[in-house]
Amino acid sequence: MKDFFRHNGILILVIAVLLALITLVVTAFTGGVAAPISNAVNVITTPVRNGLNSLVNWVEGIYDYSFQYDQLLAENEQLKKRIAEMEEEIRQAESANTENDRFRNLLNFQTKHKEFQMEPATVTAAGASNWESTFTISKGTSSGVEPDDCVVDEYGNFVGIITEAGLNWSTVTTLIDTDIELGGLIGRTDGAAILEGDFTLMGQGRLKLSYLPENTELVAGDEVLTSGKGGVYPSGLVVGAIESVHTDVSGMSRYAVVKPAADLDDLQQVFVIKAFDIVE
Amino acid sequence: MTRRDFLTKWFIYALALLPVWFLEVYVLSRLKFFGVSPMLLPVAAVTVAVLEGSAAGGAFGLAVGVICDAVYHTNGAMTLGMTLLGAGTGIIAQYGVRQSLAGCLACSAGALVIIDLCRVVWRLAAGVAPLQVLLGVALPEVLYSLVLVPLVYLVFRWVHNRTQFATLF
Repeated sequence: MKDFFRHNGILILVIAVLLALITLVVTAFTGGVAAPISNAVNVITTPVRNGLNSLVNWVEGIYDYSFQYDQLLAENEQLKKRIAEMEEEIRQAESANTENDRFRNLLNFQTKHKEFQMEPATVTAAGASNWESTFTISKGTSSGVEPDDCVVDEYGNFVGIITEAGLNWSTVTTLIDTDIELGGLIGRTDGAAILEGDFTLMGQGRLKLSYLPENTELVAGDEVLTSGKGGVYPSGLVVGAIESVHTDVSGMSRYAVVKPAADLDDLQQVFVIKAFDIVE
Repeated sequence: MTRRDFLTKWFIYALALLPVWFLEVYVLSRLKFFGVSPMLLPVAAVTVAVLEGSAAGGAFGLAVGVICDAVYHTNGAMTLGMTLLGAGTGIIAQYGVRQSLAGCLACSAGALVIIDLCRVVWRLAAGVAPLQVLLGVALPEVLYSLVLVPLVYLVFRWVHNRTQFATLF
């Protein structure tokens, strides 16, 4: 103990307290923009992160090719069938769209469509903490990425939200994290509810759909979308599908467990929605 | 010990920290067992504290804590926590634990349990999840991290054996 105090122990403790306080205050007041120390650490390690990410992806690719070849073949066959089914669905949808356009013209309805300003980014690191669900991407404030921007995968499925933006990196908190709470919409019934991360479900890669509308019959497989209420996040992004419906401990309300549409364990490329607009 | 020796020694310790840091954050975070990845950075701080004593342990813990805050998004808590753990481990190592793998394992177990205890209590107080769910993450995390303590110990023991100058902060 004497050695500690004799050899600048107090000075070390004072520096630690000051650094901790500065980090805490800066984090609290910058609203998601990375604190200077965190930003510096992540900017400096960017080349290593990118290099190691490429290496790990390459090794995973070789592993998949070597040990999961049969599985990949079976998956390929399934996907071919799915593509054929979807092509048929697209043909039907095109016909329905044409009919819809004719009716809109007839009734003088204006069409609505969404305009997204997207920024492609690579997933460079998985979250190291077991207590949250995050990952790091290769774009930051220098590319116009800001805290609270939505992140989607290559199919447009909702992945998460930017919670910390550094110069050339950002942290994405995924939709299953306990910090996430946003408006959800059940596609089939149009009923609004709240999507929120739940620690118990996070380990299973699922999230919760709470405050379900009363007298609504939900079916496993019902699609859940973002509602866009509040205007912070765009509406209509696919969140996932309802897996099961439960009654909470109090017995007063129900909630649904939602399986995300995005494959959160195997993300390599994502898109940040930097700005969005509903155009009429 | 000259100033140059001092700087050389801690530069080598910093270099030794890099592979441990990158292994945890960029490689092992993708290789989960029982749904968890290990914590190697706190183990690194504890190992150096066991080998070098309280003041050096505190200073190294401070540096590791800054990295931990960036990695675990803990807003300064790990900077202070790792400094205290480093200094505390150093004091225990100076008086009660041998500078060996067994001593390092014991101190790492203590440090990891303290870190996860704080996380569990914080989340219990916030009503995030029931105790058994939180322990379901904490216990495998501590065990998985302890399995890798010998690896971290070997790295820093190697550095320690090659830079055996007295450490004066």
